Amino acid sequence: MVFTNLAHLCSHLNNVSKARLALTSIPNTKMHVKLCLAFQREGLISSVIRAGRSPPPQHLLLGHPTMEVINGVPSIEPVTQSNIASRRLWLGLKYWQNEPVLGHLSAVSKAKRKITLDTAGLRRVLRGERSDMVQGLRNPGECLFLITDQGLMEARECLEKNVGGLVLVRVN
Amino acid sequence: MSVTRPVRCLFCRFSRPTYAVPRVPRRQFHPSPAPLSNDQNPKDPKTQEDKMAGKKLLVDIERDAKPEDFKPLTQKEKEYLATVYSPKQMESIEAGEAAIDPKDLAEQFAFQRGPLRHHYADDFASIEPGVDKHVRAPISNTDYNAKLKSEEDFIEDFGRFFAEMPEDVSASDWVRFVEGLRVTHGKPENELAPHSSLVPDLFQPGESLEQEEPKEPRPEVVTTGKVKEGEGMDPTLRKLLMATGYTESFVNSLKTKVLVRRSVVNQTRLGKIRKASVLAIAGNGKGLLGIGEGKSAEFVDAVTQARYRAIRNMQPIPRYEQRTIFGDVRGKVGAVELILMNRPPGFGLRCQHLIYEMCLAAGIHDLAARVERSRNPMNTVKAAYEALMSQRNPEEIARARGRKLVDVRAVYYSGRAY
Repeated sequence: MVFTNLAHLCSHLNNVSKARLALTSIPNTKMHVKLCLAFQREGLISSVIRAGRSPPPQHLLLGHPTMEVINGVPSIEPVTQSNIASRRLWLGLKYWQNEPVLGHLSAVSKAKRKITLDTAGLRRVLRGERSDMVQGLRNPGECLFLITDQGLMEARECLEKNVGGLVLVRVN
Repeated sequence: MSVTRPVRCLFCRFSRPTYAVPRVPRRQFHPSPAPLSNDQNPKDPKTQEDKMAGKKLLVDIERDAKPEDFKPLTQKEKEYLATVYSPKQMESIEAGEAAIDPKDLAEQFAFQRGPLRHHYADDFASIEPGVDKHVRAPISNTDYNAKLKSEEDFIEDFGRFFAEMPEDVSASDWVRFVEGLRVTHGKPENELAPHSSLVPDLFQPGESLEQEEPKEPRPEVVTTGKVKEGEGMDPTLRKLLMATGYTESFVNSLKTKVLVRRSVVNQTRLGKIRKASVLAIAGNGKGLLGIGEGKSAEFVDAVTQARYRAIRNMQPIPRYEQRTIFGDVRGKVGAVELILMNRPPGFGLRCQHLIYEMCLAAGIHDLAARVERSRNPMNTVKAAYEALMSQRNPEEIARARGRKLVDVRAVYYSGRAY
């Protein structure tokens, strides 16, 4: 797990949403895929598509990047040894009333210092209290994403499944 | 309302001009009854006209009230009241009636004034749309065996009309026939005044379900206009009222406070020009807050300027449970950086005096604040205002994300947390 990539992702998405872009691409890594899918589950971004260097086609009505239609079937190009180097993740970003839905991202764990939270600490954080190095979630809609042995999840989902893990990013 | 009504409408079409008021209730698109006259402005030409026409003004009615106008309850009225009230209550009603002398009533009779007054004169004998609850026709009016008349029945009806037609037939005979023409067999009430569990239509003023016959129009009452507002009022205040649409009493009820006052100097080649600069806040204690700056040669003028500008700038501030803020918010103006933090009920306002005053004016009761870096008073107020306005509404967040957000406190206390 490369934490510098995570920091790059955070600052890139912050820059992109400040510029009010509808579409952006990030390097294709396993952690990025998991994190972006977690964002999508939370409704922070509209779509995640793996494609080449050129952007995938737009959705006819919604405008976000979508799967290519090959022979009438929406499908994505399979990843092979020859094209894996050119694969990127294309994210459709959301805006509501001229404000980005994906707010400010900040990496919690750094390359130099990884921060883990157990369920007791997670409970404190979700109640709005500070736990070790993690500030409580005190704003409406604030999210914390953790990687656990059951996958990458939002903090509330972690607590539901009663698992702790490594804290990745905080979305405000 | 009823399926038969539109059909009746169709048949009643010719009879319309014979009635002063429309017989078929028509939906009003606003719930307030039309005022009897414009009682706001004495210079209104309509009021003047009414005066010239010799119509009674409210003042005249009040002055001309005589003891004979206040008659004791008749036996019939008492019998009716006895159906509604218990014998004990009836005793107290009678005792109350006996205790008040009609002479006193006549002397002290006055129409209600002030904000709770009626904007119309009402004898309370008829249904007013939007004011009164509707009287529904009794369920016994319903006839479940009613059947629509067939074509032959109609032919028979028309044939009877032509057969029984008098020699000198007039249009009114025809109108009367069409009015009386039934479209169903069965109980007549089922067609004319049917019971419906649906919400009844709103009526025209003065119309009721019970009385289909048009009533005599009520005596028109003209209320006098009150003393013209703004007589002897400060011109700046009048301007403020005109710009904002607030009433004078509302403006007086606002909480305003001067937070920053200082003397500023403009250096010109002729010398220093001193001026007073003031920053004031205004709020209604229920979520409205505004800040205003004023500058003038005199402090007094600067203060009024700042106060009125604050009132003009008042904007609603989101309040969680009408006591604290949504989340922790940050504000930054110049070198002043501050953070306002929401707190549980009963926490109080634990913050510095400027933010305390702002919360007091806005109606925030639980809050903590920290002012970092610079603590310039003027910029602190502005930064706090900016922070309060930058709150995010959870409902908006939910809509933006397309996910459901639930306020757990509201669920736990079933929406009665405040």
